[in-house]
Amino acid sequence: MRAALLAAAVVAIATAASVLLRDSLAPTNLAMIYLGGVVAVAMRCSRRLSVAASFLSVAAFDFFCVPPYLTFAVSDYQYVFTFAGMLAVALVISTQTGRLRDHAAQAAVREARTEALYRLSSRLAGETRVFEAARSAASLAAEVFAARVVVFLPEDGRISFRRRTSDPLPVPPSEESIAQWVFDHGHKAGLRADAHPDATALYIPLRGARETFGVLAVLPDSQNRIFAPEQQQLLEVFASQTALAIERTLSQRAAEETRVHMQTEQMRSSLLSAVSHDLRTPLASITGAASTLRSQHGRLPLATQQELLDSISDEAERLGRLVGNLLDMTRFESGPVELRRDLYPLEEIVGTALQRMEPQLQGRTVLTDLAENLPLVFVDDVLIGQVLWNLLENAAKYTPPGSPLDLVAFEEQGAVIIEVRDRGPGILPGEEERIFEKFYRGSSVKGSGNAHGAGLGLPICRAIIEAHRGTIRALPREGGGATFRISLPIQAA
Amino acid sequence: MKPLILLIEDDAQIRRFLRAALAAEDYRLQEAVTAEEGLTQAAARQPDLILLDLGLPDRDGLEVIQKVREWGKIPILVLSARGQEKDKIAALDLGADDYVAKPFAVGELLARIRAALRRSAATAAGTVVRFGAVEVDLDKRLVRVEGREVHLTPNEYKLLQVLIQHAGKVLTQRQLLNEVWGPQHTEQAQYLRVYIAQLRRKLERNPARPKHLHTEPGVGYRLVIEDPA
Repeated sequence: MRAALLAAAVVAIATAASVLLRDSLAPTNLAMIYLGGVVAVAMRCSRRLSVAASFLSVAAFDFFCVPPYLTFAVSDYQYVFTFAGMLAVALVISTQTGRLRDHAAQAAVREARTEALYRLSSRLAGETRVFEAARSAASLAAEVFAARVVVFLPEDGRISFRRRTSDPLPVPPSEESIAQWVFDHGHKAGLRADAHPDATALYIPLRGARETFGVLAVLPDSQNRIFAPEQQQLLEVFASQTALAIERTLSQRAAEETRVHMQTEQMRSSLLSAVSHDLRTPLASITGAASTLRSQHGRLPLATQQELLDSISDEAERLGRLVGNLLDMTRFESGPVELRRDLYPLEEIVGTALQRMEPQLQGRTVLTDLAENLPLVFVDDVLIGQVLWNLLENAAKYTPPGSPLDLVAFEEQGAVIIEVRDRGPGILPGEEERIFEKFYRGSSVKGSGNAHGAGLGLPICRAIIEAHRGTIRALPREGGGATFRISLPIQAA
Repeated sequence: MKPLILLIEDDAQIRRFLRAALAAEDYRLQEAVTAEEGLTQAAARQPDLILLDLGLPDRDGLEVIQKVREWGKIPILVLSARGQEKDKIAALDLGADDYVAKPFAVGELLARIRAALRRSAATAAGTVVRFGAVEVDLDKRLVRVEGREVHLTPNEYKLLQVLIQHAGKVLTQRQLLNEVWGPQHTEQAQYLRVYIAQLRRKLERNPARPKHLHTEPGVGYRLVIEDPA
């Protein structure tokens, strides 16, 4: 109505201007003023109104501007051509301008839609949980469609109103069956749809490429807007985009799980093969030596018998160490290590480890240099003792017999540093970290035949030191050899 | 007569090799497979030493220690699994004399058996005890290292005295604290560690590699007097 008044006013203004100018301008020129008015109307109002304004303009031109004035009669029949031309031009302007406006309006709708979908996809992109993705989609939909939106997700294959993205429940509980129908059939239903048009909400399935993930319920605030065809279409695109995003999330997660599972499997099988090899080798020696002794007892020289006995005893010891390490590793991996910490003089822990290592350290110079006035360390003495013992044992095993070992401790920047230094072959560059991995054997060790370990000693050391919030590293030693450096933060009890 | 050892152990293989090893050392052996049987045998035969496995099928081995200690002082040597410090401490606190962790070498076990038998036979031996370069005159309360007199504080001396009394035996932290500082201080293990460290500095040539004052990690301390041969 206001638009019609506006159109009439524009024609009236054009008329007033023409009347003022009709003495100085030829009537055909006055027609231009009217055409200007039609352009203005066409820009602002609907096509119907601008067509009406075209006719009204021609009539007003005839009535006010073509002599004789104030009558539709014309003195000169040439003016009939003017009227026809003017009307044709006005109609063309109306139509073209209207079409232009329609295009602009469509472009605006498309833009709004693109923007809404863009926001949806960017919001869902980082989402790794189905429920969170559904919640993001619901809140964005509420904003875009100016409606209350809730997403219902299935529980054990059935849509449940309990599993919803917002509170309180905005629809009557009885409509759960409608949502279920939508979920089962993958078609929308509810308010103004073909099925259940009298429901309080419109239910749209979140349907991906392979399955339906849930149901989007929309309760429009202003019913008119949302039921426009382009809004309906947008709503459906929105729902399917949401479903696709959820689908992607799920498949990503499944892929990740598969990857982790495969990695675990791979690790388990390599672990198993390493363990079974390490268990079987000493067992084979023991079985072989024992059975030789039993069956050929009388025929073996005494020295050989002694040798076999030594091998049984050594291999059994090795087996024992391996089983012990495996048990420790299992303990450290099954959860946080329980530390029985107390304040100890480091000297005592070092002394115990050295004492335990005494037989293997025969013939070596072991220099211990513990700084005076070291603070007491707050540790589990048994476990830290085990770390030192492991390091010393490695040193004894992997360095030439008789080569010296140093055990040094000092305080540095709020930490007690303990170093075990050897003059062995050292650690190959690039292996300083790998030797702390389970079942990793340094390449200098591989194939050397007499040096066996399960590759568990250092990983256990690291697990223990890290449980104490300290660090353990292997470093090259100046002048040749390796340094194992433990740093334990100084802590009060 | 040769000492009689009562072995309470349910595993047949372990009994088998212990039987052989002990027979070779001329010990007489009585075997029991369950705690119940072990207790009966202990009361009936009055062995000179009990070798006790803690993991018995019918009852906790700790109960056996408790029951035996109700009526006698027979030395008890516990065979325990590796890493179970809690069990070791409990066994020692209940009155067990020593423990050997499985798996063990027979030589070590035999040495422990000899030491335990010797301790129970010895009655207040000489008043001067020597180990390494250390000489302790228990009458005059004098301590000499390499012939030179060393001054010990009263608590240090008391600690050393307790260790000498039980030389060769593992003493738990609780037992040492109880004997030196009294029953109300049994939780203050830090004290003890500091005193042990001081004793080592005064008596051992290299306190970081003690020859005599050994730590049994997670359990307690042991004074080793004779040189391990």
